[in-house]
Amino acid sequence: MTFLLRRLAFYLAAFIAAATVNFFLPRLMPGDPIQIMFASAGSELSLENLNALKLTFGFIDAPLGEQYLRYLQSVFTGDLGRSIKYFPLPVTELLGRALVWTLGLVGIATLFSFCLGTFLGVMAAWRRGTIFDSIVSLTAIFSSSVPAVVVSLIMLFLFGYQLGWFPNGYAADPLLDPGFNWTYISSVLHHGTLPMLTMVIVLTGGFAVTMRNNMINLLGEDYIVMGRAKGLADNRVMLWYAARNALLPTVSSLAIALGTVLGGSLVTEVVFNYPGLGNTLYQAIIARDYPVIQGQLLIMTAAMLIANFAVDLSYVLLDPRLKKA
Amino acid sequence: MTIFRQLLSNKKAMVGITILLIVVLVAIFAPFLTEYSPVKRVGRPHQAPSWEHWLGTTRLGHDVFARLVYGARVSLAVGFGAGLAITLIGTVLGIIAGYKGGVVDEVINFFTNMVLVVPNLPLLLVLAAFIGQASPLVIAVILGLTSWAWGVRVTRSETLSIRQRDYVKSAEMLGEPSWRIMAFEIFPNLISIVGINFIGSVIFAVITEATLEFLGLGDPNTVSWGIMLYNAQNASALSVGAWWDLLAPCFALAVLGLGLALINFAIDEIANPRLRTGGMLNRWTRMVRIGEGKL
Repeated sequence: MTFLLRRLAFYLAAFIAAATVNFFLPRLMPGDPIQIMFASAGSELSLENLNALKLTFGFIDAPLGEQYLRYLQSVFTGDLGRSIKYFPLPVTELLGRALVWTLGLVGIATLFSFCLGTFLGVMAAWRRGTIFDSIVSLTAIFSSSVPAVVVSLIMLFLFGYQLGWFPNGYAADPLLDPGFNWTYISSVLHHGTLPMLTMVIVLTGGFAVTMRNNMINLLGEDYIVMGRAKGLADNRVMLWYAARNALLPTVSSLAIALGTVLGGSLVTEVVFNYPGLGNTLYQAIIARDYPVIQGQLLIMTAAMLIANFAVDLSYVLLDPRLKKA
Repeated sequence: MTIFRQLLSNKKAMVGITILLIVVLVAIFAPFLTEYSPVKRVGRPHQAPSWEHWLGTTRLGHDVFARLVYGARVSLAVGFGAGLAITLIGTVLGIIAGYKGGVVDEVINFFTNMVLVVPNLPLLLVLAAFIGQASPLVIAVILGLTSWAWGVRVTRSETLSIRQRDYVKSAEMLGEPSWRIMAFEIFPNLISIVGINFIGSVIFAVITEATLEFLGLGDPNTVSWGIMLYNAQNASALSVGAWWDLLAPCFALAVLGLGLALINFAIDEIANPRLRTGGMLNRWTRMVRIGEGKL
């Protein structure tokens, strides 16, 4: 229990640190930050907008300390201010719309790459030193050293433009009305294939290498030798003795991946013009829509922290030693 | 120095080093490789690759090949500059935290963990957005300041175990000052970890710089691979069929990434003979920062 409480306190501190960065950045800008934000966002300066923006960043007529506390208060009550570009749309609403697409795209891609990568890793470790192992390892190294932007662009070029198999943008045919019918759903699937495939290519390598190494480390353990000595079938030793235990550390990297993937899908979404969180962030950057950019940092930090906490929880459940610690 | 000799006899390392050397040579001798200036209009817009323009021209009529070879300079400079900064901070803090222990360790460890859980890319984007059009130097500096945490964690945990060794104990008995122990007893034994951290950070910096620039946070007047991607994307290079404009920097980034990754993999194999049976490869994977480095 103490372990979990300590972790919780730590995550709270980390979140406040991210919020603090957000609070001080506009204050470090030379001149009047609000004026500059509006100037660079290219929108005109109505008094209403100005005041709303000032509130967003806690610019009130009060000492810095009080401004800071007010800002933290609004962040913790879920108020991230309003978008400059789509004034007066609240940032939370803007991000909420995008979140659905990102969760779908990224969630499925991550789970799929996790399963595929784990499977490849298990097989490669079991046959280590063979050609199969070399191919899997080298491909995995390559896929985790090539930037996602490169993979996305090449996929878009090949399958989107050259072969014309898949559409080049949007989450669904913009002419269709969203609804729970086959035409719309198939359009969503068709549009989602390329971004999904890109994410899978980018993510699978990491999972495969991690699993391969965990597995190889375990293969030397006595109980594996024992299993084989007992004359158990290869598959049984591989899956039920080795893979099961090797999976534990991998679960943690899955959770971390789910947390960071919100940021990691950014480039993919931008290249395929997919209306998720990443693309929203990109549009906000182009428009210099600071409240949206900063809101993203907080949301992504929160996602990362929640994922980390989930890992801690799962460790307490899976590893009895930690319960006492 | 055996590690360097071993590197030369490792096949993966040789391929990686060769790739890296070629990129470095191309960057140094850029003016001899192309007659065109990377910033001057030298042809009609979006010309396909030809004898005159090996990789075609951009929408502004710049020579793509010229921009590619000159752009290698920026990618390498940012990669190695930021990589050096990240490694330096990570190694120094890691050794101090691991060797000194106590309050110093607690403080460093707390900040390290905090930086680790705040997602790197969004933080970089926010910083870059406030800075405005970030030059490669600025990008390298903010990369160095925000990405050192992983190195500290790895170096610290390794220092913790080295600290218990007899030769460290005897140096302490002899009354050697602690900076001397850290620099001459502990550091030389961390060289492979530092190397892996360094190459991993270089990969990370090259990828991240290109990504930030691709997203429009860089200075559009820079000649770099990231800005090439940004311009090509803005010129809708793919939809007008000017694939050379976009694929050239893609190819360059992929090749450089692969070369560096191979070197890293090889250092790993050499540093840890058990590697073919796992071990540090695991750490290597984390060094390329799954999720984090994948931008």
